[in-house]
Amino acid sequence: MTFKPDQNDPNALDALAGEYVLGTLNAEQRQAVEQRMAQDPMLQAAVDRWEARLVPLNDLVPPHPPSARLWPRIERSLNAATSPDKAKEQHGWWNLLPLWRGLSAAGLAATVVLGTVLLSASPKVSPPAYVVVLVAPQNQAPGWVIQASNRQNIQLIPLGVAHVPSDKALEFWTKAEGWDGPVSLGLVKPGQTLSVPLDSLPPLEPNQLFELTLEGPNGSPIGKPTGPIQFIGRAVKVI
Amino acid sequence: MTLPEPFFDYEACLLACARGERQALVALYAKESARLLGVAKRIARDNALAEDIVHDAFIKIWTRAASFDPERGSARGWIFTVTRHLALNFVRNNRHALQVSEDSEMLLHPLASLDGQAAPQDDLQWQPGTERIHGCLEQLEPARRSCIVHAYVDGYTHAEIAEKLATPLGTVKAWIKRSLSALRECMG
Repeated sequence: MTFKPDQNDPNALDALAGEYVLGTLNAEQRQAVEQRMAQDPMLQAAVDRWEARLVPLNDLVPPHPPSARLWPRIERSLNAATSPDKAKEQHGWWNLLPLWRGLSAAGLAATVVLGTVLLSASPKVSPPAYVVVLVAPQNQAPGWVIQASNRQNIQLIPLGVAHVPSDKALEFWTKAEGWDGPVSLGLVKPGQTLSVPLDSLPPLEPNQLFELTLEGPNGSPIGKPTGPIQFIGRAVKVI
Repeated sequence: MTLPEPFFDYEACLLACARGERQALVALYAKESARLLGVAKRIARDNALAEDIVHDAFIKIWTRAASFDPERGSARGWIFTVTRHLALNFVRNNRHALQVSEDSEMLLHPLASLDGQAAPQDDLQWQPGTERIHGCLEQLEPARRSCIVHAYVDGYTHAEIAEKLATPLGTVKAWIKRSLSALRECMG
């Protein structure tokens, strides 16, 4: 008898796919499944079904904010590499222009805005009305993104975990043109997304300034920024 | 005053990545990097390794975005799947380098609940959710449910589970096989 259950029996195939997705297979078995998947649509389909069944379990795992180094590192790798398709085009724009190298804050702001416009082209998306990229003043490294899908609420989203000395806190400020001075939006924990209602303030306006400054653990004692600016950016309206 | 979670279009982001639009990857990173790092860290049991894995995952998401097929599954699911399999392949291929000592918290705590006893130190909060998988897992007996959940989130092999449970390997294999079969029946 040359009966090979894992090749002919749909139940055995599904069991193998289930174990692969669950993660219990050893290195050799995993490699064998991955190689076979590429040529076996039945196995691929069984794996896809198991991925869809089990993927909600990832949401049981507590999130772990990445260090502030991770995104710049990913960006450097992307800049150094070319995608497989484009590597062939020796004289394509991708290779001719070191376009992504040293991506400036302005460049990133523009691309985020363009991306938001692009995303809003989908009818399901309610586009952020304003976007702000907050960068470190010394090296222009982006640290936070602010999204405002309306003019009364904003979300401050970290791109990494900013380092804050234990006896200090980050305070979030905004100032629009014509205001006497910056208004505090509260303290911010490194690595955490923060939603801020702007109900007590005038609606967001283009070019409105946002910044994070280093203050004492309870924030600035005088209601105005006293410490050094850690991240700064201005609101850009999304058309 | 709380903000409703704004709708985030993962599929549009992957399509934009496939077109070479970097800002879409920034958006995915802003949205999911902490969750992906949580998943990778749970399997790799090491912060620096987990960041390496998430680094590789974002490179792969970028270069392989064009291969994402919405017919085969959700876009959000795809980025988690990419990350998780990178993590699993890493720990499987480096098993000896990664031998974790017996007193490692990460290794021992999660399996403490596998005998069905309450395990207050287990940082995985089992909460029946709205997803279909949760209802189906509820129907498994607690020890076997725990086996499936921890195999998935901690990336244990049959042998590791058997060792930690002090249960014969064949028994563990049979449990998992039957639990997967029951889940498939339940979920369709």
